[in-house]
Amino acid sequence: MVLGQKLAIMFFLTGKIMRFVFFFGFLFFLIVGTKTLVGYDSNQVIFFFLTFNFVDVVAQFFFREVYRFRPKIVSGDFDLTLIKPINPLFQSLAGGADVMDLVTIPPLLFAVFYVGSLLNPSLLHVAFYVLLLLNSLLIATAFHILVLALGIITMEVDHTIMIYRDLTSLGRFPVDIYRQPLQGFLTYLVPVGLMITLPAKALMGLVSLPGVLASFGLGLTAVFVSLRFWNFALKKYTSASS
Amino acid sequence: MNKYLQIFKISFAQEFAYKANFIMWRVRNVFQIFLIFFLWDAVFSDQGRVVFGYDRTKILTYVFGVMLVRALVLSSKSVDIARDIATGELSNYLLRPISYFKYWFTRDVSSKVLNIMFAVVEFAILYLILKPPFYFQTDIFTNLSFLISVGVAILIFSTLIFIVSTVPFWAPELGWGSHFLVTVVVVESLSGSVFPIDVLPQLVQRVLMITPFPYLIYFPIQVYLGKIGGFQYLQGTLISLLWIVVLWLVLRRVWSKGLKVYQAFGR
Repeated sequence: MVLGQKLAIMFFLTGKIMRFVFFFGFLFFLIVGTKTLVGYDSNQVIFFFLTFNFVDVVAQFFFREVYRFRPKIVSGDFDLTLIKPINPLFQSLAGGADVMDLVTIPPLLFAVFYVGSLLNPSLLHVAFYVLLLLNSLLIATAFHILVLALGIITMEVDHTIMIYRDLTSLGRFPVDIYRQPLQGFLTYLVPVGLMITLPAKALMGLVSLPGVLASFGLGLTAVFVSLRFWNFALKKYTSASS
Repeated sequence: MNKYLQIFKISFAQEFAYKANFIMWRVRNVFQIFLIFFLWDAVFSDQGRVVFGYDRTKILTYVFGVMLVRALVLSSKSVDIARDIATGELSNYLLRPISYFKYWFTRDVSSKVLNIMFAVVEFAILYLILKPPFYFQTDIFTNLSFLISVGVAILIFSTLIFIVSTVPFWAPELGWGSHFLVTVVVVESLSGSVFPIDVLPQLVQRVLMITPFPYLIYFPIQVYLGKIGGFQYLQGTLISLLWIVVLWLVLRRVWSKGLKVYQAFGR
């Protein structure tokens, strides 16, 4: 790897870490000043924030290839993906994991583990948390498949994926802070609440087994719908520029 | 002057050539405002609460103020300078009878005009939907001071972004990386566009107020809210002006050194 590329990676990594530290610092001093946020104490608010970061970084790590999808559609290079003996969805979705994100996952995992332990969860609640995190990744997968499918139909990926990122970033704080109907929108329609707030609440003992099962039902439905949409979009691909 | 007016018109028209892109960009801005608005709305759900020197009216005015001041100060086209240098496109501009910086500053102004037009519409829509209490500044002198501080902020940001864009003279691959680090991470976090600087401890505030970043968003809004005035305003404006001079001198030096090592890669 040439020096310029190494430096570019260093810049991005430093930027990501700095952004996390700045926001964490803001959150910390905010809670010091206000004591609680919609009834949650400082450790709980920080745990919501860490859970958001964990889901966000893991999704970026696995699905970085989605960010590179648009040029393939615009140039017609997606033809080359289609003729390869590998599932085109898998290639487009997870064909290029991001090593940069891999670097940030272990310390984040440690922080989640440490702050989570300060909340004194029971073993059952930890199990709920882990299960719901897996469900979060299912929903994130569904979103990324939808973005790819939309990319085939509209050739617009860059902003769609960033809008997804902006929507999920509303989960940096528990969705309880949002007023209705935005709260309902973020809980059911764009399930940021299910992806981030619900797992964190489960660790705090605020979610029951039916809640976990219903959440999984929604996650699986989202994946099913997104796969159907992907198949529909593939039929619309015209290979126009190739 | 006429040629820059034409550049302004062309740049303005170009933005409409990519309507979907522009609308998506504005939608993203609205989402970012949602996060900050509802956070503070939740913190100040108790109407009489005063935290960090803000009451509910002033903090929600701060959030709405961010929307407008951001559109004026942080919207810019000159991030593309880095691409011009990295691809060798810069050579085309150096041969033309125009000032390269004036060219990009004109394009920045057109971007700011377009963004503020949309921001005002978004402001009105969100104001009608969210119905926040809003602090209307009625003092003419304070409003004038606010406008001056926004003008100064625009100059600081433009000079800063020009400097950051020169990185590809030495490392073509670092164009976007350096912008990400400085304009996306540092400016976004330390300018006050995510949170007001006075949430932080006194010592951190004092250190930050020596840097140019809080003068981009935080300082103008504080002036509008009437939280900064008199001697503090003069002191802040003096520091801002000093930064413009320092950044301009740095830019001139870096640009002339950069042109000497420029190899027009890709041409």
